[in-house]
Amino acid sequence: MVKLEEFNILVIDENPDRAAIVERGLVESGYTRVARIGTSHNLVERIQALAPDIIIIDLENPDRDTLEQMFQVSRAIARPIAMFVDQSDASMIHEAVSAGVSAYVVDGLRQDRIRPIVEMAISRFNVFDQLRRERDEAQAKLNERKLIERAKGILMKEKGLSEEDSYALLRKNAMKQNRKIYEIAQSVITAFQLEF
Amino acid sequence: MANKVRLGFVPLVDCAIPVVARAMGFAQQENIDLELVREMSWAAIRDKLSFGMFEAAHLLAGIPIAARLGLGGLPVQNIVVPMALGRGGNAITVSTQLYQRMLEADPNAMLGPRGRSARALKKVIDEDKAEGRPILSLATVFPFSSHNYELRYWMAAAGIDPDMDVNIGVIAPPRMFDSLRNGWVDGYCVGEPWNQRAVFHGDGVIVALKDDIWSRSPEKVLGLREDWAQSNPELVSALVRALVRAAEWADQPGSRVELAHILSEEANVGAPFEVLKASLSGKPVLRPGEPPIDLPDRHVFYRYTATFPWLSQGRWIGEQMKRWRQIPQDTDLKAVIPDVFRPDLYRTAVAGLDVLVPQDDWRVEGAADAPDRSLVGMDQFLDDTIFKAEF
Repeated sequence: MVKLEEFNILVIDENPDRAAIVERGLVESGYTRVARIGTSHNLVERIQALAPDIIIIDLENPDRDTLEQMFQVSRAIARPIAMFVDQSDASMIHEAVSAGVSAYVVDGLRQDRIRPIVEMAISRFNVFDQLRRERDEAQAKLNERKLIERAKGILMKEKGLSEEDSYALLRKNAMKQNRKIYEIAQSVITAFQLEF
Repeated sequence: MANKVRLGFVPLVDCAIPVVARAMGFAQQENIDLELVREMSWAAIRDKLSFGMFEAAHLLAGIPIAARLGLGGLPVQNIVVPMALGRGGNAITVSTQLYQRMLEADPNAMLGPRGRSARALKKVIDEDKAEGRPILSLATVFPFSSHNYELRYWMAAAGIDPDMDVNIGVIAPPRMFDSLRNGWVDGYCVGEPWNQRAVFHGDGVIVALKDDIWSRSPEKVLGLREDWAQSNPELVSALVRALVRAAEWADQPGSRVELAHILSEEANVGAPFEVLKASLSGKPVLRPGEPPIDLPDRHVFYRYTATFPWLSQGRWIGEQMKRWRQIPQDTDLKAVIPDVFRPDLYRTAVAGLDVLVPQDDWRVEGAADAPDRSLVGMDQFLDDTIFKAEF
């Protein structure tokens, strides 16, 4: 870690897991002064207290409407902030919007010094999305396995089949109907539920 | 193949027009596959429209003007407004505690007219000042919202300085109700159903309705990116036609119960049916436990030229931006507004249809004896202002 930028960075995120991932990425890149907050009703006061140079917030967070107020020159805000949009690089804007990242910076900061921070946030948001997708897929797989186990149990109990034969029966029907085994398992469960 | 249009909206009663355009098949009739995306913040909608995630958006009327002027920290965004999305149903709601204090401070002012109820708020503020208590916190939904301008208009007419005497914050509409309930704010100006909901829960009292402040004050509009609108003129016309038809349907008294059902769905507004019905059927309840009042024009979607993008209404918003020093006093609104509000696009879209369009693109606003009163309906400012800004 060579670079030790003296920026105060604030990550605002309702999702503590994503905030942690973004924070770690920034700290590992040498930005040591990173704070994070979840949703807060006294957001403006908290931001004032933390005095960040840069705020990273997910694009869809309703708190952004509150932040927008801070664009206004106001007696409440000592340091005016503006949304970070690097006009020199349209593809980055697009990347940020599709990753769901928005950033606000205090007046007067140089774009080239902020850009690596925003880029880091974008890549971390994408990593988080990937992790969430993998988790959802793993969860779905687990649910499929549970369905198959339950259907096997039903067949063993109701039809007197062995575990192996129960599975073979599910598999055979799946192949015949060109469907997934867990879908057949679901049908078996539904069918037996209907009977009772 | 149908033309795909992605349209972002915020869960409010006045998202009704796009929601109906899809739900009742008006978009389909124009060969449009209208994809509706629910958003929880105005900043998110503006950015997604500006940067190409949406082709169209349900926007606060002030947002396209602010975007054109490069306000809000963003570089200039060219968004055009080919139509308005009805007159909305804003109201000013205060906590039951603040309502009690207003009632005690000035019972006469609270007897009516509602547009003048801020006189009681003024007395409460003066009491607080004398006692050295902290100032009240009020909320609106966005810096460039009609809500902000209505709340300020209402207060200023009673001698309150909205910048010094109270603290006006911004909270996204879906969070307003909780903020009042938890005591984080003492009152707010927001669109329905978030006023009615506070009243139904016994947490708030409506002290003024949009109609009480200025019945014709502009509300939500349809926003399109200018470059997209220029490259797709026929699609723009088709979209406007679909939305105007939807507005016509939504405006019928006979449609309102069904509309309340449609809007109550989680993917749309997601508020309780009873709350939506009270507001949509023109029978809002202003104080917890009291019978509803009769207000057939509480939500206007089509009649009174409610979908026409009047230049004079855009101008009024711009003048409020000047009044509250959001933009420089020498901003040339006469030149800017016609770039943003585009009655020409509206006229082109509905040409040949049975849609009543006004003769001119602007009018004198607020004149009780205006010759076009039958066309535009009630038109009165709480302080009888006449707003004349020629184009």
